[in-house]
Amino acid sequence: MNQRPNEIKIESHGDIILLDIRGDVTAFSEPSLNSAYTSTKESSPKKIILRFEEASYINSGGIAVLIQVLAQTRRNNQKIGITGLSDHFKKIFNMVGITKFATIYPTLKDALSAMSAIS
Amino acid sequence: MSDFRLRELRAEKTVLDDQTVELNLPSKIGYERIAIGGLAAFAKSVGFSSPRIEDLKTSVAEACINAMQHGNKGKPDARVLIAFRFQENTLRISVSDEGDGMKTEPPDPDIERILENLDPPVGFGVFLMKRLMDKVEFNRTSNHRHEVRMMMQLTG
Repeated sequence: MNQRPNEIKIESHGDIILLDIRGDVTAFSEPSLNSAYTSTKESSPKKIILRFEEASYINSGGIAVLIQVLAQTRRNNQKIGITGLSDHFKKIFNMVGITKFATIYPTLKDALSAMSAIS
Repeated sequence: MSDFRLRELRAEKTVLDDQTVELNLPSKIGYERIAIGGLAAFAKSVGFSSPRIEDLKTSVAEACINAMQHGNKGKPDARVLIAFRFQENTLRISVSDEGDGMKTEPPDPDIERILENLDPPVGFGVFLMKRLMDKVEFNRTSNHRHEVRMMMQLTG
């Protein structure tokens, strides 16, 4: 059983960069997530939104990959918003402590609105 | 024993058997999805709510991934055996591998230390199982397998 590769679209919304992550988030997502994050560095964004698909499967390997991306955003003093999570994965992200370093928003609209207001 | 009583016992046995499901998976990451798909259907059929089914799916996926990666060390001929049984309002799940098990349970991951590169980003699987299930035990079985036993009660 092979995981379908992640498709990650990168969009600019003012001073915010959106990483629109399609597909399951597992250890196999590391190359695509790292590559997407690296490609945002050209514009040195201070705010990044990670949007997931609500039906995506996320496991501990994927959580580890996300935390490694968060470690980079922390070193670069970037604010991180997360959206598109199911209620279950909102709970999981809270349990593992991701919500100490990233804010979860119910919708992309909420994320864009709240993060635009951050100076 | 009368034929009637024998038929009754056979019927009882059938009812009990209906509450047990066993799966035998290769040690290949991705196949845990088969286990969680089957488990979700089973848990729904016995009355678990959607949020609890999500907890079960994450816990069993993590147990299977640990069994494949750490227990069976990815050996293609080593198998992961999964059994789930619902009895007395309790769902009991066993996930076993051919490894020796853990010498000690890993500490809970500390995300602050991981972000500072002081700890590796590991230990989330066992941490989530313990947080999401009512009970989790790690055992050696009589047939030299390492087994994770998990339990969740059907409430309300």
